[in-house]
Amino acid sequence: MDLVDLIQEKRFLGQEFLAWLWYKAEERGGNVDVPGMGDILVVFEKHMLLEYGEGEASEKVICRGLQTELREARAGLALGKKPEQARIRVARGEYEFNVTLTAATMEFRNVKLPKTVDGADEGDDSESMEGRILERISLFEQLTEVINELFRMFIAKRASDQWPDELLKIRQWVGQGIG
Amino acid sequence: MGLLSGSASFMRFTVEGELPDRFWDFIAERVVAHSFTDIDDNMEEYSIGWVSVANMFDSEFNYASYAAGDYVVLSMRIDERKVSPAVLKKFTMKEEERIKREKQLPKLSRSVRIEIKERVRTELVRKSAPIPVIYDLCWNVTDNTLLFFSTSKKAMVQLEDLFRDTFDLSVMLQIPWTAAVHIADEQLVAGLDNLQPAILI
Repeated sequence: MDLVDLIQEKRFLGQEFLAWLWYKAEERGGNVDVPGMGDILVVFEKHMLLEYGEGEASEKVICRGLQTELREARAGLALGKKPEQARIRVARGEYEFNVTLTAATMEFRNVKLPKTVDGADEGDDSESMEGRILERISLFEQLTEVINELFRMFIAKRASDQWPDELLKIRQWVGQGIG
Repeated sequence: MGLLSGSASFMRFTVEGELPDRFWDFIAERVVAHSFTDIDDNMEEYSIGWVSVANMFDSEFNYASYAAGDYVVLSMRIDERKVSPAVLKKFTMKEEERIKREKQLPKLSRSVRIEIKERVRTELVRKSAPIPVIYDLCWNVTDNTLLFFSTSKKAMVQLEDLFRDTFDLSVMLQIPWTAAVHIADEQLVAGLDNLQPAILI
């Protein structure tokens, strides 16, 4: 199967990952216990795109707001829509990241990295430049590593016999979002 | 905006293929061989190649600026002369009118109109300045993953082609499914094969 078909046929996996992560984040007030990493703060905020159906019959709903609790998005989930994009705040230790994750191809959009030394405060020589590049790469990789580990947790449930129990819990949580 | 500053958007790829021995010599040679060639002073319509992430005018890489620790960092630069469809339409109509008047013709044949349009387009392309776009990338040589700082599908195809032409290696977009297959053990892979979309309500 070529990549375009694979993206289309398996897009549900990314959508379900975002839904699972949202449930997981709210299960313990924003903290997700990631094996080998400890508690990671995961907060869904500001912006979410939900989708229902496929192809020409698909419907999209965008929910956004500064201090939103994403009530409309939760109601959308309860109507059978699945998240296609979500804005997430992720914090590990002292570092905090913001990212919009997309479900189909797991793009990282509008990534905001934690604040470090401002580039303008450093020199312009090649060593300073290399240092600055390596620091930015290290931060990008910390973010992708956290998302990878969260995804690994999801797959360990999703592709195993633990999934029916997990799905029941997700359905209960989705049901709580009505009203 | 990208690898070096500001907020960034990126896609992740896996680099596929065998890395050669004397890897950094190979990179040095190939990057320079496929570096960007400026088209400001000629009539070329399109140019694509590598430049330094720190400086879009550095395509010589004198200080091996493509290397940062165990990473290859590069910018893919594309310069293209473009003519907007509205401008092309206007000048084509103008030229058609001029020829009709000059030859006192009520109408021009289809083949003549096509020829006029192509000639006008060539003239306009020559007059227009190349528009540059730059996409950063960072290739982690240790685990063969690559972050490409764009989410444009067109740029992704251009990256795949330039990367293959430069390094004889291919890049494969990481999507949730391929990532799942990659991290799953034997037992989970069997479970993955049978997955169907779940109903969450």
